Amino acid sequence: MVQTQNLTKKYGRTVAVNRLNLTVRQGSVFGLIGENGAGKTTTLSMLATLTVPSFGRAFVNGFEVCKHPHDVRMSIGYMPDSFGVYDDLTVTEYLYFYAECYGVKGALAKRRSADLLEWVDLQDQRGTYVNALSRGMQQRLELARCLMHDPQVLILDEPASGLDPRSRIELRRVLRRLRELGKTMIISSHILNELSEVSDEIGMMRGGELSAVAAVEALKDQIGAYRRLWVQATAKPELWQTVLAAEPQVLDYTLRLQGVELVFSGVLEEQAELLKRLIQAGIPVIHFGEQPTDIESLFLRLTERGRVTHDAR
Amino acid sequence: MMRGNPLLLKEFRQRMRTRRAPLVIMSYFISMALLTFLLLYENVQGQLTLLLPARGEQVFVTLGLLQMAVVVFLTPAFAAGAVSGERERRTLSVLLTTPLSPFTILMGKVLSSSALLLLLVIVTLPLYSLVFLFGAAVPQELLGVFGFQLVTVVLVAAMSVCWSTLALRSGWSTVLSYATVTWMVVITGLFGYGLQYAATRFPIDYFLLNWGEILLRLNPLWIEAGLAGAVPGNFGQDMFWFLGFYGVITVILWIFSVGRLRPQAYAFSSRLRRGDEKDFE
Repeated sequence: MVQTQNLTKKYGRTVAVNRLNLTVRQGSVFGLIGENGAGKTTTLSMLATLTVPSFGRAFVNGFEVCKHPHDVRMSIGYMPDSFGVYDDLTVTEYLYFYAECYGVKGALAKRRSADLLEWVDLQDQRGTYVNALSRGMQQRLELARCLMHDPQVLILDEPASGLDPRSRIELRRVLRRLRELGKTMIISSHILNELSEVSDEIGMMRGGELSAVAAVEALKDQIGAYRRLWVQATAKPELWQTVLAAEPQVLDYTLRLQGVELVFSGVLEEQAELLKRLIQAGIPVIHFGEQPTDIESLFLRLTERGRVTHDAR
Repeated sequence: MMRGNPLLLKEFRQRMRTRRAPLVIMSYFISMALLTFLLLYENVQGQLTLLLPARGEQVFVTLGLLQMAVVVFLTPAFAAGAVSGERERRTLSVLLTTPLSPFTILMGKVLSSSALLLLLVIVTLPLYSLVFLFGAAVPQELLGVFGFQLVTVVLVAAMSVCWSTLALRSGWSTVLSYATVTWMVVITGLFGYGLQYAATRFPIDYFLLNWGEILLRLNPLWIEAGLAGAVPGNFGQDMFWFLGFYGVITVILWIFSVGRLRPQAYAFSSRLRRGDEKDFE
């Protein structure tokens, strides 16, 4: 449904996106994560026909973005990271305007706008001026606007940015429903936990490159297989290094002032054995316990170590 | 036109819904009405017994020139932020992902921004009919003056919208639009008239006369005065020069504006689509 082949964008000497190869299957939700400046917005902008790639090709719904931009535009609903709304237009007029831009008119536009407003829970705001809506409401209205022409692909750039927690929950609910409808979506965010709830796959961008792609289900499975342990003890760093290097199930560790934080791949019995060996090595353990593992830290850790994830396709 | 261009309908809704639109129209009409009555009072009082069309003609010319100057200088105020304003309000990127063609977008902006000005010109028609009563103009002159004003407004609006598309900020597009209007009205007028005046003092210098004529042909007030019958000359030809010159400039600006809105349109030329498109979005 969405495919890029060595997609590259340069601004002068700066390479914003470098040889990006990405495949998003029909009906799946792909989350694009990365820090600010990683190239997420430029990538989505190229897919939305706003920016012309310097090199490489991109296909959306079977149409190449450079050769058939009109067909691509008809196939996508695009929501930019920071968007504005038109003043002096009511919610309904706003939707009608965009519907007309896509050739959706008359009874169809009327029916679709009514359905979508109900769907994003804005049915009571039909006559309200768009600029009078709260940010969360505007965000939901934007989603409705994206869907007015019933596109096959949705490109959502940081849809949750600037929203309060309640609005984020509302937005996630809407995105989950979109997923159930079978829409192909590419969503960017810099918060992985947010994406993991709605995405099938997650790709990480760094310095304009797609550094890793992981299936969310696989990541969730890994959460059960990996534990984050906190060992509170005061010992010399050399001692920690000697003891932990000899433990094959310790995948990673970080020395702190009052102890060590480690990623452990063993079962509970092996965890008890580790504690025993630490004490035998002369480390005065004050506290030894498991910490909840979130998907974000796991993804970051695993992509750094090259486990569970596979290379960008 | 509006059925085929959703942007135009949307712009009309937005522009005419504000308090500014009726306020501008009302203020303009009142000012023009007061001026007309004052000019009529000064120039044609007592003509109920003795009709002097030449004096009425002066009123007609003064009103026409004044109206032309006002609408030409007002047009950039409505058109110079047409596209750059969309960018500043962060609505442009979404608009550009719709299948609307760049022509539709630019045309929608030109017509919507010149609509209020066209309305200003049209509401003053009853005032001109008063002048008409005193035999100040023949219908052809009246139609010529009004038609030329409408065409000039659309032309200035088109150039301003193009500047607004090419410049990244409304401030810059306003400066460029007013520079264009200043060239059209002030520079061509002052230099053209100045050179012609110099030519009367040094009649052998054909260069002065020629350039004076060329510059005045590019001045809307001069053409307007000619159409109103205030100055002698072949104004059909002059108007052709005027429309040709600014028409070509508008077409050039339009071509670059299309490239700015849709870089894919000129994908065959990497030079045209290069530049700061990142900033533009």
